[in-house]
Amino acid sequence: MHYFSQLYNYDHPWSRVVIGMWHKYPNPHCSHVMSIDVVDRSIDPQTGIIRTERILGCKQKAPIWIVKLFGGSEDAFVREVSFVDPATQTATITSVNLSLSQFATCYESIRYSPSPDGKTTFKQTAEIQARVALWQSAANKLENWLVQRFEQNAHLGKLGFSDVLRQLWESRDQQQSA
Amino acid sequence: MSSSLAEECTPLKRKYDACFNAWFEGYLEPAVSASITPAQRTKFSQEKAAEFEQSCGQVWREYKDCVQRAVKEKGLDVLLDQARVENPLKEPPTDSRS
Repeated sequence: MHYFSQLYNYDHPWSRVVIGMWHKYPNPHCSHVMSIDVVDRSIDPQTGIIRTERILGCKQKAPIWIVKLFGGSEDAFVREVSFVDPATQTATITSVNLSLSQFATCYESIRYSPSPDGKTTFKQTAEIQARVALWQSAANKLENWLVQRFEQNAHLGKLGFSDVLRQLWESRDQQQSA
Repeated sequence: MSSSLAEECTPLKRKYDACFNAWFEGYLEPAVSASITPAQRTKFSQEKAAEFEQSCGQVWREYKDCVQRAVKEKGLDVLLDQARVENPLKEPPTDSRS
């Protein structure tokens, strides 16, 4: 597992940063983000917390070995769930990859909160983890299958060669004794 | 404004995003300062939620229909459901991970 984190202050008050969140894309610095769709949104009538679930579409120039090995395409999709809580002035964004998620997960968390100087603190963490257990079980299955095939072939090879030897020498022995 | 993952949904998406942004910008600042008592917050949140439904509800349902169809066509519905089961995220995360 790999872990990433960064902490940064934006020179804008919290509410401006959070309004800006919805205007982040399209962005020439992040041209890999091709599409954004809201798939679910609710406003909690008790707390006023806004929950938004979005799907981001990205164009990834993945290395050729990744595409060959995992059969990925250029289009990669990410699920993102955000919560904006005006009462505590906290905004959190959690993202996870949908594409290639059977092989590995990239789990990202972002938090925006006000800093005492009227700026906004941005905290980002990410965990990148290959699904080793899944690979291990696939690798074990492959190994077992190979062992079985090898045993079968070894058995057939033994039978086949026994036949060849018997036929070869039986006929020669017969010729000699004749 | 960004595009939808399906070209045919982009006009509805942009209409919906514009509607939400206009509402949100009128919501956030007063919502931050409305934290005097829990009762006042609830009253304010209910009013604002109703206002959002009134101004953006119709376009939201049209856009949602369109995007749900597109998500299904791309086979993303299965992956999305899987991700929702693994991590429903119905409540704000308490720390950076959970």
